[in-house]
Amino acid sequence: MTTKPTRRPTYYEEIRQKGYSRRDFMKFCSIIGAYMGLEATGVAQVANALQKTSRVPVIWLHFQECTCCSESFIRSSHPIVADILLDKISLDYTETLMAASGHQAEAAKAKTMKDYHGEYILCVEGSVPTKDDGVYCCIGGKSAIQVLEEAAEGAKAIIAWGSCACNGCVQAAHPNPTTATPIHKLVHGKPLIKVPGCPPIGEVMAGVIIHMITFGRLPELDRVGRPKAFYSKRVHDTCYRRPFYDAGLFVETFDDENAQKGYCLYKVGCKGPMTYNACGVTKWNGGTSYPIQSGHGCFGCSEENFWDNGPIYRQMANFPGFGIESNADEIGMVAAGATAVGIAAHAIATNLRKNKLINNVIAEGKDAEKEL
Amino acid sequence: MATHTATHKLRRVFVWELPVRFYHWLNALVIVALCATGYLIGSPPAFLSNAEASDQYLFGWIRFIHFVAAYLFFFNFLFRLYWGFVGNKYADWKNFIPTNRKFWSEMWEVIKIDIFLQKDKEHLSVGHNALAGFIYFLTFLAFLVQCITGFGLYASMSDWWFADMFVWVGGIFGGDFGLRNWHHAAMWFFIIFAMVHVYLVFYHDYVEGRGEISSMGGGWKFIEEEVFDKEKKKATH
Amino acid sequence: MGQRIVVDPVTRIEGHLRIEAEINNGKITDAYSAGTMVRLLEEILKGRDPRDAWAFVGRVCGVCTSVHSLASCRAVEDAIGVTIPPNAELVRNIMYCAQQMHDHVVHFYHLHALDWVDVVSALKADPKKTSEIAQSISNWPKSSPGYFSDLQKRLTKFVESGQLGIFANGYWGHPAYKLPPEVNLIGVAHYLEALEWQKEVVKIHAIFGGKNPHPNFLVGGMACAIGLDDVSGINAERLAYVHQLLQDAKEFIEQVYIPDLLAVAPYYLDWGAIGGGLGSYMSYGDLPTNGFADKSSMKFPAGVILNKDLSNIMEVDVRDDSEVQEFIHRSWYEYEGGDEKAGLHPWKGESKIKYTGPKPPYDHLNVEERYSFLKTPRWKGNAVEVGPLARVLIGYARGREDFKEVVDSTLAKLKVPVTALFSTLGRTAARGLESILVAQWGLEFYDQLINNLKNGDTRMANMEMFNPAKWDKTCQGVGYSEAPRGALAHWIVIEDQKIKNYQLVVPTTWNASPRDPNGKQSAYEAALMDTPVHDPEQPLEILRTIHSFDPCLACSVHVYDEEGKHISKVKVV
Ligand code: HEM
Ligand code: SF4
Ligand code: SF4
Repeated sequence: MTTKPTRRPTYYEEIRQKGYSRRDFMKFCSIIGAYMGLEATGVAQVANALQKTSRVPVIWLHFQECTCCSESFIRSSHPIVADILLDKISLDYTETLMAASGHQAEAAKAKTMKDYHGEYILCVEGSVPTKDDGVYCCIGGKSAIQVLEEAAEGAKAIIAWGSCACNGCVQAAHPNPTTATPIHKLVHGKPLIKVPGCPPIGEVMAGVIIHMITFGRLPELDRVGRPKAFYSKRVHDTCYRRPFYDAGLFVETFDDENAQKGYCLYKVGCKGPMTYNACGVTKWNGGTSYPIQSGHGCFGCSEENFWDNGPIYRQMANFPGFGIESNADEIGMVAAGATAVGIAAHAIATNLRKNKLINNVIAEGKDAEKEL
Repeated sequence: MATHTATHKLRRVFVWELPVRFYHWLNALVIVALCATGYLIGSPPAFLSNAEASDQYLFGWIRFIHFVAAYLFFFNFLFRLYWGFVGNKYADWKNFIPTNRKFWSEMWEVIKIDIFLQKDKEHLSVGHNALAGFIYFLTFLAFLVQCITGFGLYASMSDWWFADMFVWVGGIFGGDFGLRNWHHAAMWFFIIFAMVHVYLVFYHDYVEGRGEISSMGGGWKFIEEEVFDKEKKKATH
Repeated sequence: MGQRIVVDPVTRIEGHLRIEAEINNGKITDAYSAGTMVRLLEEILKGRDPRDAWAFVGRVCGVCTSVHSLASCRAVEDAIGVTIPPNAELVRNIMYCAQQMHDHVVHFYHLHALDWVDVVSALKADPKKTSEIAQSISNWPKSSPGYFSDLQKRLTKFVESGQLGIFANGYWGHPAYKLPPEVNLIGVAHYLEALEWQKEVVKIHAIFGGKNPHPNFLVGGMACAIGLDDVSGINAERLAYVHQLLQDAKEFIEQVYIPDLLAVAPYYLDWGAIGGGLGSYMSYGDLPTNGFADKSSMKFPAGVILNKDLSNIMEVDVRDDSEVQEFIHRSWYEYEGGDEKAGLHPWKGESKIKYTGPKPPYDHLNVEERYSFLKTPRWKGNAVEVGPLARVLIGYARGREDFKEVVDSTLAKLKVPVTALFSTLGRTAARGLESILVAQWGLEFYDQLINNLKNGDTRMANMEMFNPAKWDKTCQGVGYSEAPRGALAHWIVIEDQKIKNYQLVVPTTWNASPRDPNGKQSAYEAALMDTPVHDPEQPLEILRTIHSFDPCLACSVHVYDEEGKHISKVKVV
């Protein structure tokens, strides 16, 4: 089904044409390899892959989103996005950056879907509203569901960018008025990678793509479908403030003395202990910082339903099913209080209602006492 | 010197074997430890200080105690399940699961007498009464929930294959958020259970006067002769 | 007889926007702008902790990230009555400047440039001549003939690969592209350089807010505690980093962005008379230098100009319920009161959806009735345009020296009168002009921050009112900002420590909204009127004017003929 007009030059050829030596090329491969945590043999594999492959076509769809994922993607510092776009992938459709609009844009997408059927990577940013025939998100007069189904059909693999595509993100928060739905609930039977986060870290997004094009296969995924390379550790496990946590030294309120010393943010609501993400290691914006380093707790943006697991500034989450504002402790304390009252009432009632029985027992004992 | 009641003749019955008593007190101890440390993990106290983090490991110790107690709790619980098959008739698993009509009717009777306080009557059983047995069954389920959610949380902190067996748990609770929330909420079940449990032990001791409290010490209970005979008849049938 | 063209999706914007326009004799005679995506954050916010609102509304937009969080914090602070420390105000201002610079540069190069720069024509450029031109307009170092010829080779190979990626199906070769190949090549070079640069300036957000997009904010100040003697806090290293980034950004704006703008503009001076639209402008004001309560201290002054009358500047009051009102006459909503023509002040605003549009897939919307998910805001009943042009005109009309200097010198360089600003070109130029100012101000705020720290003031947050128990049982507040795309405000009503009502009126709502009950168009529709369209199949001119507003919603573009039939030959799959 594939129609390749001319043989496309491989990365290796491209890089040689650019005037780089083979040595430069191997160096580049080992940097990528090191970045992906590979042994020397893996580096050879990268080199091999880059010598053989040409640019992989990518279609990037936008649904209910805020474009922060696209923005984050262009923040990647290694590789930089200009190189990804010019040398590594062929981003044939993305509403954010593409030159064409309207039917020319749609035509570009259609061409890729036809020419590279079964070969292109489909990236999805945003959730899909399913209620009321999908009228809450329409592109080119079609509903998001229709657009997604068409594009998914010939995709080799699907990447769900960000919390919107992975779990609905903010628009799916209670009461989810537009029935914003994540991609894995709508598309079945295709390999799907979830890259959650609001947004995901730019270098993580680039890393996922680089992994797929250099190795020609999906990265290893965890039990919920996220690449293990970036989502296997909790923020808490890689947090540089962890020694303060272990010592029991906490920020009590923002900008207090402890905050200035950089103590652990657990008590002002840090959700790092429940959040699987690479923030503590890869950090943000080329390793500049990450939320905790800048004094604000993690609020769990890569976890399912994190908007409803708030509030942000309390370490205990709201308890499901008890309205928006009550946590397990509040419910527990009320229940324990009610139990104490019940016990007291029962004790009094026992003495009243069973007084004869009790008196008998007491009398029996007292009689015996007196007999001795 | 007026005698109000007929004096009772009491028989001494060996109810709780040593392993059961051992299980009970170890369980009580670790549950107190787990609740206390668990509560502190959930809401750490203010600890304003100028101390160097490298000199302290306070929170680390709290969590360490929680995890040690958690392992003890888990294996102790497993042991008790085992003893439910090899122990004496009062330790047997059938005491806990409503398997027949009689179980249900006895439960109803206990509810009428002990909860709604029907006057001047007492339900006199030897081991657990049916209601207590059933409630212990529910606590076992709670133990299970607590162990599964606990080890689910622990999986990401441990490299041991045993804890890693529980990685799947996060998935069914919607991630570690939900997991932690349920684990935390379940603590309140233990606290409330402990309150009611301790009260009822005193209640029985007070109302029945048969050495309920001390039975978990030496294993003995003192049973009225007529109850003894009734039970014996039941047993020989 | 006219043709109806539909542009859907409009790309290189944020969000989903659809334009339907009527063309007669090569000119647009009627235009409709429709937002086709909705998420209803207002409904989701109800009942939540007001202190969390900044995080929710931050997700309104990831392109103009941070601006909604800022407005939200200000709204809550206003409602609960808390004044933030001067340092927090300065940090917010510095982040504001970083955002403005980032947004404007990305808009110019990545969202707008391809409307003016023909990428394919750049292949024909002479690298040597390109280098000469580049060196004559700026002393930016990357301007050697070798640099441009390498780039050209890379570009040639890219084009020859047959995989045009994001440049596929552009309107290359369209007669409306007027630049010589050499200037096109400079444009492409800086497109790529700006792509690399933009990831740097936002590191300021990462330093103060932990990440970008979507940096963290805090009601009552900022969370980034000052810790001059600690490794974790904002210390000398972090501050030096911020300073470096601000300087680099200023350099890029002054040596790349502005020279490019001035090099491209002379070829498109006809666009100084196209796309003017409403001629009424509004700015809420922003960048406080003496606390947010002191409106007169703002670097961006507030005000309203009606009908291009620069001599009469009116004041705007976001609290007055007769000033800012939202109408839903032509939008897919309903108001409880049922009065179709009434406007509601946002404190009493409602967001109940009632979709009456066609069922997808559809070819066209029923523009005679309701046709958008955007509501229609009006200021005292007037349609106004918001954005960089509004800010620059208001600063200029108020006689502020800094504004006068940049505006007058630019007009002189281009040899055009001030009226040329009321146009598509004016909008694009104003964005550059205010970037020059913002780049300078960012460094001023930085110096003030250092000064405060020197004087021993290290406060970064005022936590006095952070505990909800201290709040009044019911309170309401409004927080506003001048976002990159214009006047933005959030209105909040708090009851029993929870959000009772939350309404946002965002810049793109002012500009892209449907008609009001009097049939009066909003800015996009008005600006499209009389725009020449050379080839309805390639609506490049529409994109130029629409992109000059820097839309912030997602859109799509189709082309229909008069009977509402697709005239595009490409089957849309
Ligand atoms: C009676 C039984 C138990 C009770 C009452 C209990 C209670 C608690 C509570 C209240 C918390 C704090 C939750 C929060 O962060 O809000 C906690 C945390 C935890 N518990 Fe338990 N727990 C019990 C048994 C267990 C068991 C059997 C395990 C298995 C390993 C376990 C493992 C954990 C872990 C890993 C944490 C999280 C600690 C951290 O965040 O560092 N718990 N427990
Ligand atoms: S996942 Fe979250 S962050 Fe990404 S586009 Fe969606 S709202 Fe923005
Ligand atoms: S700041 Fe958050 S992630 Fe870091 S140690 Fe404390 S609780 Fe864990």
